[in-house]
Amino acid sequence: MQQFAEILSGGISQSAVYCLMAFGLSLVYGTARILNFAHGSLYTTGAYVAWVLTVGGLNLPMLAAMPLLVVILYLFGMVIEKTVVRPLRSTKDWKINTMMVTLGLAFILDNANSMIFGPIGKPMPPFFEGTVTIFGAVVSSHRIGVLIIALLIVIGLELFLQRTPFGQAVRAVSQDSEGAAQVGINANRIYSFTFGLSVVLTGIAGMLLAPLFLISPLGGWELFLKAFVIVVLGGLGSTRGAVVAAFILGLIESVVIFQLGASWTMPVWLVTLLIVLMIRPQGLMGVWAK
Amino acid sequence: MSILSIYFAGPRDPSLMQEWGLRQAVSYWIGVAVLSTLGFLIDDSYILHILILCFIWAIVVTGWDLVLGYAGIFNYAQLVFFAIGAYGAGMLSAKAGVDPLMAIMLGGVITGLFGLIIALPCLRLRGEYIALFTFAIHLAMPALILKTKSWGTGGNMGLLGIPSIDVMGLQFTPIDKQYWYFFALIIASIVIYLVYFVVLQKRMGHALESLRDSDEFACSLGVNQFGYKLLAFFVSALVTGIAGALYAHYTSVVTPRILGNEFFLLAMVMMAIGGIGRFPGVIIGAFIVTIANELLRETGNFRLLILGIAVVLTVLVLPKGIVSLYDRWIKRNIFQ
Repeated sequence: MQQFAEILSGGISQSAVYCLMAFGLSLVYGTARILNFAHGSLYTTGAYVAWVLTVGGLNLPMLAAMPLLVVILYLFGMVIEKTVVRPLRSTKDWKINTMMVTLGLAFILDNANSMIFGPIGKPMPPFFEGTVTIFGAVVSSHRIGVLIIALLIVIGLELFLQRTPFGQAVRAVSQDSEGAAQVGINANRIYSFTFGLSVVLTGIAGMLLAPLFLISPLGGWELFLKAFVIVVLGGLGSTRGAVVAAFILGLIESVVIFQLGASWTMPVWLVTLLIVLMIRPQGLMGVWAK
Repeated sequence: MSILSIYFAGPRDPSLMQEWGLRQAVSYWIGVAVLSTLGFLIDDSYILHILILCFIWAIVVTGWDLVLGYAGIFNYAQLVFFAIGAYGAGMLSAKAGVDPLMAIMLGGVITGLFGLIIALPCLRLRGEYIALFTFAIHLAMPALILKTKSWGTGGNMGLLGIPSIDVMGLQFTPIDKQYWYFFALIIASIVIYLVYFVVLQKRMGHALESLRDSDEFACSLGVNQFGYKLLAFFVSALVTGIAGALYAHYTSVVTPRILGNEFFLLAMVMMAIGGIGRFPGVIIGAFIVTIANELLRETGNFRLLILGIAVVLTVLVLPKGIVSLYDRWIKRNIFQ
């Protein structure tokens, strides 16, 4: 039981990080209708940038590195959206084209990362040392810290989307971009904002998980696959659906790891996804895109 | 179909619908004939090897183009079909002792049936959900191959010792590039002909294109959406499975590497550079990319980076691929 509590608490903190990744993926699809296949590679890139900022080169303290990381990733995301994604919006098959372009981008990032940093994984020390005991379960403080940071970010984003005028504009664009344009919302600005934001979120997820796994050039794909399944299960474009699905699947994952072993996670997830999609093809909280 | 063809009979974008008659078929077979005379002239086994790869890839992208370009279904599990064909046929001939030629055909059929299994959930989904779902299958596939090691997939090491094809006493060993050249050319030219000049010219091609361009309108005219899309998946998987089976017997080894990023990227670049939904776009793409990939081998690590940049640039500069240059030329010179 105690072992299970440990796995469960690990599962919850893992889910919180999945939330961050899935939130960004879903937000970009919700507003700009773009499936970003480079999301996993951006996760890895974020982790590498964090590594360079902290132990890998500049030796900045965590508190100084984090805002810098956010700024760098946000600008990077904006540049990608402006130069690569936006010009395609006017072409006929823009959905296929944007998928192809982001996949191409993913391979560019992967190979650039592996050339710059080498194919061997980079270790990153945990941000919080020591352990905490909850209900007899010994949990590393790093996991608790990750959980708290991720939850604060998700709650902050949800408040931002619901309460602030800019957040409402983002939601308006995701509901009906033409209607939003008619009331004076600059949809292009929202597109680059959400793209930048999603890169920041996935990069932070990369930084938070880096001490648990090594940072390796192709390490983002597994998490990307997981974020994928979460987003589809929650419903494309629904950020709340993504949050709910992240926790459902995160808990399923910890049960599967406890009972069957870690390598069964993906098969069980896919079966779960298949069952949900058979009953509700648009996912838990999704609506069909027009 | 008659109503639809009347509807589409007006002036149109040349890339939208293609009517291919005898003239195009004759020029297609002339092209094949040129390639087969090349087979007699070329002695260098390395060049033959590259061309054999070109033929195999041409089959793969043909199958993909059928679903992605013509039917407009965002299927990203094409290399899963390739892998199933390769593993299916390889295991049949290496472990079960089935005759390799028979195994290649059976591999295609098995993959076709697998395509139906993937199609069933896909057709309940729409648009990008299909892309997500099929790509998830693609990413989950290597793990599945490792898990089924006890069935004889060979796990990480790969499936080894696939026997060479034996037709009436002629041994097609991987060293005999000349035999393989003609064998791959014959299969590729027949398969590509059947897909582009038979399947896509008949009812099915028109139905798929009308469903892609406006599914509600096509359905209101009585086009059976479910049936045709299911059939499209079946044909596409069958064709790709045959390519996989050929590849397995050609290289005599199958490893999970065929599901890795490199192969997926290669196929993507072929589609992007050639131009989807427009014969002979993807075929040209397959030849250009396979040859370029070999030429870039000298650059080592930069190769995949360059290919990635190639995808992004082609999609940005020529969203409809290289064939759109020809369409532009026609528009400028004939429809002035």
